[in-house]
Amino acid sequence: MSFIKRYLLPRLLQYFLVIFVGITVVFIVPRLTPVDPVQEMINTITQRGAYMDPEAIEQLRQSMKEMYGLEGTVFSQYISLWRRLIIGDFGPSLSQFPTPVVKLIGISLPWTLGLMLVTTLLSWIIGNILGGIAGYFSSSRWSAAIERFMMVLRPIPYYIFALILLLVFGYVIPIFPIAGGTSIGLKIQFSWKVIADLLRHAILPALSMILLGMAGWFQTMRLVMSNIVREDYVMYARAGGLRDTKIAFNYVIKNAMLPQVTGLALSLGQIFGGAMVTEMVFSYPGIGGLLYTAINAGDYNLIMGITMFSILGIATGALLVDLLYPLFDPRIRYR
Amino acid sequence: MKLRTIIALLCVIALFGFTLAGCGGQQETGKEPSQEPGEKPAEEPGGKPAETGDVSRSETFIVDVLGGRVTTPENFNVWAQTWRTPDRGVQQLMLEPLWIVEYVTGEVINALAAEGPEYNEDFTKMVVKLRQGMYWSDGVEFTADDIVFDVELVKATEGMSYHTEFNTYVDKVYAEDKYTVVFEFKEGNSRFHTFFVDRWGGFRPFPKHIFEEVDDPVSFEFNPPISSGPYVLKDYDPGGYWTRWTKREDWQKTPTGALYGEPVPKEVVFYYYGNPEKKVLAQAQHEIDLIEVTSETLKAILEKSDTSRAYRKEYPYFVNVDPCITGISLNADIEPYNNKDVRWALTLAIDIVEELGTSFDGMATMGCLAVPPTPVYLEWYYKPMEEWLRSFELDIEVDGQKFKPYDPEATKRLTEYIKSRGYELPSEDEEELKQIFGYGWWKYAPDVAEKLLERNGFKRDNSGKWLLPDGSPWKIHMVTGTNPSNIGYRHVFAVQQAWKKFGIEVEVETTENAATLTQHGDFDATGTWPALEPWGGHPDMYRTLRSWHSKFYKPTGEPNVGHVSRWHHPDMDKVVDELEGLDWDDPKVIENGIEGLKIAVREMPSIQISGYPGMVSFDEQYWTNFPGAENPYCQPYHHWPNLKYMLPFLKPTGN
Repeated sequence: MSFIKRYLLPRLLQYFLVIFVGITVVFIVPRLTPVDPVQEMINTITQRGAYMDPEAIEQLRQSMKEMYGLEGTVFSQYISLWRRLIIGDFGPSLSQFPTPVVKLIGISLPWTLGLMLVTTLLSWIIGNILGGIAGYFSSSRWSAAIERFMMVLRPIPYYIFALILLLVFGYVIPIFPIAGGTSIGLKIQFSWKVIADLLRHAILPALSMILLGMAGWFQTMRLVMSNIVREDYVMYARAGGLRDTKIAFNYVIKNAMLPQVTGLALSLGQIFGGAMVTEMVFSYPGIGGLLYTAINAGDYNLIMGITMFSILGIATGALLVDLLYPLFDPRIRYR
Repeated sequence: MKLRTIIALLCVIALFGFTLAGCGGQQETGKEPSQEPGEKPAEEPGGKPAETGDVSRSETFIVDVLGGRVTTPENFNVWAQTWRTPDRGVQQLMLEPLWIVEYVTGEVINALAAEGPEYNEDFTKMVVKLRQGMYWSDGVEFTADDIVFDVELVKATEGMSYHTEFNTYVDKVYAEDKYTVVFEFKEGNSRFHTFFVDRWGGFRPFPKHIFEEVDDPVSFEFNPPISSGPYVLKDYDPGGYWTRWTKREDWQKTPTGALYGEPVPKEVVFYYYGNPEKKVLAQAQHEIDLIEVTSETLKAILEKSDTSRAYRKEYPYFVNVDPCITGISLNADIEPYNNKDVRWALTLAIDIVEELGTSFDGMATMGCLAVPPTPVYLEWYYKPMEEWLRSFELDIEVDGQKFKPYDPEATKRLTEYIKSRGYELPSEDEEELKQIFGYGWWKYAPDVAEKLLERNGFKRDNSGKWLLPDGSPWKIHMVTGTNPSNIGYRHVFAVQQAWKKFGIEVEVETTENAATLTQHGDFDATGTWPALEPWGGHPDMYRTLRSWHSKFYKPTGEPNVGHVSRWHHPDMDKVVDELEGLDWDDPKVIENGIEGLKIAVREMPSIQISGYPGMVSFDEQYWTNFPGAENPYCQPYHHWPNLKYMLPFLKPTGN
């Protein structure tokens, strides 16, 4: 009871406050930019050459404002936003009117989740394992070799690295496609052929994110390890004659994992924001490109929908870590 | 954890994750978009499922998507008032309009219409005769009932394109017989039919028998779509990168088939590869047959691929038939740009050779009039106005004589520059060079520009920088988008250099919000179209000149409806009013257009610089006989609706 009152309830309150503030900020910021969604839409249509009668434009502008729900004060729009959000309705996309925002997110989100979930988890697992081993066996030659490799890899700007992968494996040795999420004509259904095709298209974007992500996790893990291996209990275990692998995996790496678990939870929360640069470089479908389009078009509802997922993801990730921490670290107790 | 367990775990994560990615399109796979002629989608929405790999690459024509990735790939309802990336094949293959402009040959083609519109004397009534024997791809005949239903539905439905226009003008629409539609207007409108003229946009008919079953035509996805054009949808990427179309078995029952014969490719795929560099990589691997790129990437692909060629086989490569005029728009509603002398001074401070050299390495057609310098407009306007331009004088004296700003030698200066860059000229014939590089431009005369400014109270400070008449520093705020391959972007930076050289402080704001800023007048100069594009394949200048009519003027700060320059003049009003009273095929239309263009020269509301120098690359690995400069049988782009009229002329290479 004391746990609920003294920790869980305040923590939940904080959780909802973060979401409330996040949504409010996301509501306000796009409206402070000079982008006018109605003007952007009219411009998109006319810039390509379609003829819109000047006499009709003014009426059209008014009617679009009404349809987009942009009439009334900002405060009344804010109230109407919460009314909609409570029932899980993000409203229609302004740039793809009247397609519901939820539908647009539904089309793009699985691609992002698939790519980001895999790359986040794989880079975390591989980076930590290699970092842990290299940190514990720091004097070995292969450990130094891995470390040097990671040191070279980590500072490469992501865009450049991704472009190199694309050129090497998409053009010089053309074994992977240079764009898209599926081959022309592929029907999405459960079959090995489809899975293989999806994998083939995802490998380059995934590889670019895994390699650079892995290097990051490797270096932090290596750093944490280098401190822990000097702890008394490790020296004691060595002196007691325990095998190195047992000390490394059962004691040192386990302890070094604590900050990494927090990092993983936050990274998993961030995956809803998408990977805009990856999607642009590899022309891979996903939520990042959708968000970019929404921002440019001043599509308030779509921006809200996408960022809402991101806010919820990060806040929930942080909440879960806080609640689950006693499972990872026996020293922590909620009293 | 053992190594084998870890590896197994990693594999499971990867497999699960990437399979999850594909679920983005899973929800759509219940619908098979392909359909056979004669099948009614209402009864059998599935149609015939597309088979993967059933058509070889050599029978497939693959082209780029200018509009980028499709955000709603399952939605083919382009009649909702929004942007549905119509250039993924919807406007090029799926739909036929009543009329369509062909800007290469300078004609308006009757597509679903059998002939041009017939107006009564006061333009309150219009009769449209439809082409007979045209069918929708599900076997239903296209008739006057389709048009009547479409117009009435659009009028009744807010949120559909042309809802406002049709409500503003159409009083009644009815079918006189199966192939004749009559429009009665609320007031005379001699250009009403232009709403039905496809010029990268326009009202294209939709099938009555499908839409009359629909409750909400705005949210209706029209999937699978029914075509009036020669191809039907076969398949699309749930991620939005490609759309695949297959030739109709009854292609003869479409305007394309009736006018030009059978389209050759069995299938056409629209594939968005991403930025121009990616398109080049794709074409170098023969994965895409027709792309539009930048001048730099065009040179790269020509170097890399033996089978790629540009619109013009040798330098200057660019497309000189694009019906758009590009340059700099000034905000003529605010000081000091509301002063004609200032606008002329800024024009004379630009050296056209330097400008085109910086922007496009000389690969562009210079154009000094508010009309694109394409071959047809050169004939209609530039040639007839040449004498007038040569004798045109500004109200300022140089060496005791009125200054004549037109420079007929500008073409020669540009070709000299091109030679100095090491390029070989495409011809030695002066007339041919003028067709490619333009008829002339304004003189580079900074001394005259200086005089024009000085007589208006401008002066230079000690460092040579220009000061406004009130003594404060003159700083020009230019606005452009963020895409360096955009033509407007290039002009803005080239002109910035010219004006800086002249001594004016110029700041360029590159922003994704350029459209909103320019439409609200929050700029001094911008790279937005300096004159609204004319029809492209017709000499009527109504569309261009009307945007400068004073009835559309809005003060800076209010959203704009006319041209972004907000310039207006009683003389131009008179020209436009007269034009409204002329049938668009009246021979006086050109005379009237010339009058309007003369006013635009005298007043210089915005600075026209060049035609739109499109850079296309055709890959001749699988297809040949593209409409290049040596054989311009139709427009050369993949994104214009007329692509369908190119397809009957393509020849397979047999590779």
